[in-house]
Amino acid sequence: MLSFIGRRILIAIPTVLLISVFVFFMQKLLPGDPVLALAGEDRNPEILEFLREKYRLNDPLYVQYFTWIGNALQGDLGISLRTQQPVLTLIGQKLPVTIQLAVMALIIAIVIGVPAGIVSAYRKGTWVDWLANILALSGLSVPNFWLGIMLILLVSVKLGWLPASGYQPFLDDPLQSIRTMLMPAFVLGTGLAATLMRHTRSAMLGVLKSDYVRTARAKGLSETTVVVKHALRNALVPIVTVVTLLFGELLAGAVLTEQIFTIPGFGKLVVDAVFNRDYAVVQGIVLCTAIAFIAMNILADALYRVLNPRMRNS
Amino acid sequence: MTPDAPPLLEVRNLSIRVANARSNLVDDVSFSLQPGRTLCIVGESGCGKSQTALALMGLLASPPLSVTGGTALFNGRDLLSLPQAEKQRIRGDRMAMIFQEPMSSLNPVLRIGEQIAEAVRRHRGVSNSVARARALEMLEKVRIPAAGKRLDEFPHQLSGGMRQRAMIAMALANDPELLLADEPTTALDVTIQAQILDLMRTLQAELGTAMILITHDLGVVAEMADEVAVMYAGRIVEIGATQDIFDDPQHPYTIGLMSSMPALGRRSERLVTIPGRVPSATDMPDGCRFASRCPFRIGICARTPELSNPGGSHRVACWRAPIEETYLQPQEAQPA
Ligand SMILES: Nc1ncnc2c1ncn2[C@@H]1O[C@H](COP(=O)(O)OP(=O)(O)O)[C@@H](O)[C@H]1O
Ligand SMILES: [Mg+2]
Repeated sequence: MLSFIGRRILIAIPTVLLISVFVFFMQKLLPGDPVLALAGEDRNPEILEFLREKYRLNDPLYVQYFTWIGNALQGDLGISLRTQQPVLTLIGQKLPVTIQLAVMALIIAIVIGVPAGIVSAYRKGTWVDWLANILALSGLSVPNFWLGIMLILLVSVKLGWLPASGYQPFLDDPLQSIRTMLMPAFVLGTGLAATLMRHTRSAMLGVLKSDYVRTARAKGLSETTVVVKHALRNALVPIVTVVTLLFGELLAGAVLTEQIFTIPGFGKLVVDAVFNRDYAVVQGIVLCTAIAFIAMNILADALYRVLNPRMRNS
Repeated sequence: MTPDAPPLLEVRNLSIRVANARSNLVDDVSFSLQPGRTLCIVGESGCGKSQTALALMGLLASPPLSVTGGTALFNGRDLLSLPQAEKQRIRGDRMAMIFQEPMSSLNPVLRIGEQIAEAVRRHRGVSNSVARARALEMLEKVRIPAAGKRLDEFPHQLSGGMRQRAMIAMALANDPELLLADEPTTALDVTIQAQILDLMRTLQAELGTAMILITHDLGVVAEMADEVAVMYAGRIVEIGATQDIFDDPQHPYTIGLMSSMPALGRRSERLVTIPGRVPSATDMPDGCRFASRCPFRIGICARTPELSNPGGSHRVACWRAPIEETYLQPQEAQPA
């Protein structure tokens, strides 16, 4: 297993480098001058030139790239033009917020989506199945921003149960942190829960018809054992795939959700950086996101091997 | 066999239907089985053999399939009307089943040992280690080489024959009184088939298990069966002691089956195949279901024949039985 993960990480390195090249040059092709954004109203050419020198924007592009990637490899993603803070520090501040939101949303999605999918497959064609499907369809069709605003109005403004916005670092006060993040995570999680429910349902439908489930019943096992131990274990492989694929949707959704609930996370960092042409920050963020994606995929592949013995010794 | 001994299993008038079909898929099937004996159910693919066995196990795919009538007394209790919890207590313990497809009938993500041990734990309430010891004992009993190592392997690491041995080990782990074997060797190579049948016979003799062996292969019947039930389109058309049926087949369908079997059929009859097709399972004709393919059909065949004993040795459901051998083959008259 470890050698498998090691191999996968080695393969990932060229992928990350390729992405870094792409990100770096795409960014340079975009219109707009970061120094102008930085200098604001003051368009004194000397100052502009000074800034260009300072940030080495006059170097040839490939030199700029190698400087950047060389530093990045040593853990230095540069300085934000706008805030003058190291990019890594900025990411280090904001990333945990978004990770917490994403993890909580994913937990909510799994806790709702997987059991709902199992039950609706097991009770296929009954009113339970119908209800689950209708709820899933609503979950998919209701836009996050609308659900978010409605929840804020109801739960925060009218009932006063949960805070409407803000962020409490998890390590300072875990309980309060979870409370603050609960509504955004719910908003983000419900849409994913719907997708997850539908995939769980179809995976379970296939597995429940299989010969080995019939064998399990022939042994006289209880229905719970048949469904959870024999059927679900097999359905988990496609479910894990879906969760991996949902990761992208999760990040995109998180950016939007953070805006609705004014959470100071990755989403705000991205939006600000793009509008201010804060190259170093945008590049750092994209690089980190790409690495996170690749890590998720490696994790998913590792999980497959745990779940699917046929893949273990191949 | 003493005819008066109470049967282990007594199936009466079992009928199975697909929802909304106008005829029964399995119709009015009756047979009985004494402890330790072997009954072979033989018939073409699609005639309802598997569904009959699954109904006894309480494993019909419902919906759409359901039992629409009949009883199946197993040790005096009706399997067909038992509540779910009671059925679960019996199956895998007093009665067990092995399936045709050794490739897909084992759970791909669970170790072989666990798949056997869980049945033992479930019915005997023993600890993990006791159940595992029993699993090992069973794997040795079905003569799987390196049984200790196999315990911790997954199904994909075993060959087809090995998997079917593991299935047998699993089914027999709680010493059932009745084993239902649904074409256990059909998916295997010929040499492996013989080994598995041999193994089943040995274990059956050793454990005293009664067996319902489903097959479409008369060679298997000749080798294994004490009694035979010939099924056609969901009905038993002929039933009796194996010897009697092979010596004196009376239903035109049975005669046709035997003729198409090279090793046992006589030379002149060897190339005979039964013309026509099996009627659709959901839309059976009234009367004798074989009539449309039967060369001996007469008017009365539009009424359903009951099983009776016209020849004196065993029972057959045919208005024309016993059919004189001389009628058998129109082609026989022509020189080959
Ligand atoms: N789930 C189902 N729905 C409808 N018909 C079925 C279903 N399962 C089996 N059948 C029908 O039942 C008939 C008997 O099947 P089966 O008992 O499996 O035959 P066999 O004698 O080959 O074992 C077949 O004609 C098949 O079409
Ligand atoms: Mg069958």
